Amino acid sequence: MSLLRNRDNKAFAYLYDNYASALYSIVLQIVNDAELANDILQEVFVNIWRRIEQYDMTKGRLFTWMMNIARNASIDTLRSKGYQNSRKNQSIQENVDTLQVKDVIQPGIDTIGLRKVLEKLKDEQRVLIELAYFKGYTHEEIAELEKIPLGTVKTRIRNALIQLRELLK
Amino acid sequence: MNIQEYISSGIVESYVLGLADEAERVQFEQMCTRHAEVRAARDAFELSLEQQALAGAVAPPVQMRDTILQQLAAQPASETSSSTRVVQMRPIRRSAVPMAMRYIAAAAIILLVGSAGLNIYYFNKYRDYSQRYDQLLASQTELAKNNSAMQTRMSNYEQTIQGLTNPYMARVTMEGKGVPNNASPDPAGLATVLWDTRTKDVYLMVNNLPMPETGKQYQLWAIVDNQPVDAGMLDMSHGHMMVKMKNIPRAQLFAITLEQQGGSPIPKGPMYVIGKV
Repeated sequence: MSLLRNRDNKAFAYLYDNYASALYSIVLQIVNDAELANDILQEVFVNIWRRIEQYDMTKGRLFTWMMNIARNASIDTLRSKGYQNSRKNQSIQENVDTLQVKDVIQPGIDTIGLRKVLEKLKDEQRVLIELAYFKGYTHEEIAELEKIPLGTVKTRIRNALIQLRELLK
Repeated sequence: MNIQEYISSGIVESYVLGLADEAERVQFEQMCTRHAEVRAARDAFELSLEQQALAGAVAPPVQMRDTILQQLAAQPASETSSSTRVVQMRPIRRSAVPMAMRYIAAAAIILLVGSAGLNIYYFNKYRDYSQRYDQLLASQTELAKNNSAMQTRMSNYEQTIQGLTNPYMARVTMEGKGVPNNASPDPAGLATVLWDTRTKDVYLMVNNLPMPETGKQYQLWAIVDNQPVDAGMLDMSHGHMMVKMKNIPRAQLFAITLEQQGGSPIPKGPMYVIGKV
């Protein structure tokens, strides 16, 4: 850890060699675009480099911390206006009424990482995890999107997560 | 709160995956410091997550390693960044052009539009007047032409009247029925020769002769001692006016024959009219 804190190049090379693939998978699961994922991976490592002091061992594992950086960077990119425009994405509002499992889960990437595990969940749970984890929506946004009460959203997500833990064991 | 219940409520996964809200996060972190079981549950989930992620990893393109590591090496080491992402507040874009300039620009645009409108208006007027001018010019030319034609006719008439009223003018009436053997193609033909007895100038005036066909022309002959002498060609366009012909000092008869255009040295065509001096 201290080597990382001192921005030791060899330490970061080690970090890259061990975790780049795992982090790349997470990015890929969210953006589903190899070229975009390359850019984001670069950003992720720059962020790790810059913020390494902020990592608090007592709050969790280094990988968890890096994973969240990767997730946030990916979602930020997806949500950035330029990317939305370039992909001509429909706005959330336009999607509200027609949101289905097949719409929110992009094809081709459900064989890697967490998505593989998600396959085993019920559809209604998968949608919620998809929206919360991979799209980064807040519980309130999901409640509005899916037209279900906020409490139900929370409960379903919790239940889904509990199942997820069992599946990961 | 029952620790076990808390652990199995899904909060652990929610926290680790970054899905917990602020209050849940703070509470969970407190629970972690206080309860080893919570910490253990967290570690366990984190580990399984990490193992799962590593197991299902997809390798990024090979060249990414060098790109990223070189970029990191180039990063300024001193930067101990602020934790939160700074939201860039973009100022509302305001034009740097001062208000006065805008008014001037607006006025200029209005003037330009107005000027363009006037241009169109005046151009249409110009076109209208230009057309009328052309029409006037054409009718003026026409009038001048008519006028000049009238003047020519007037002077011809004056000349004719002068000839008719001249006391020294001898008058020879040539008739179709005077032609020997009734050989004239037009027995009703009639023409008059006016012969100035002092100057010996001969004038011809057609009273009644058919229009010759194209390529043919009437020719006046003076018969002097039984020999026909050319006295000139007759241009029918002068109508019934007096036309000056050649100077004939002496003659007993005048006659008109129809000849080829331009005349003939001796009469060849049919004689239309003849008259004695």
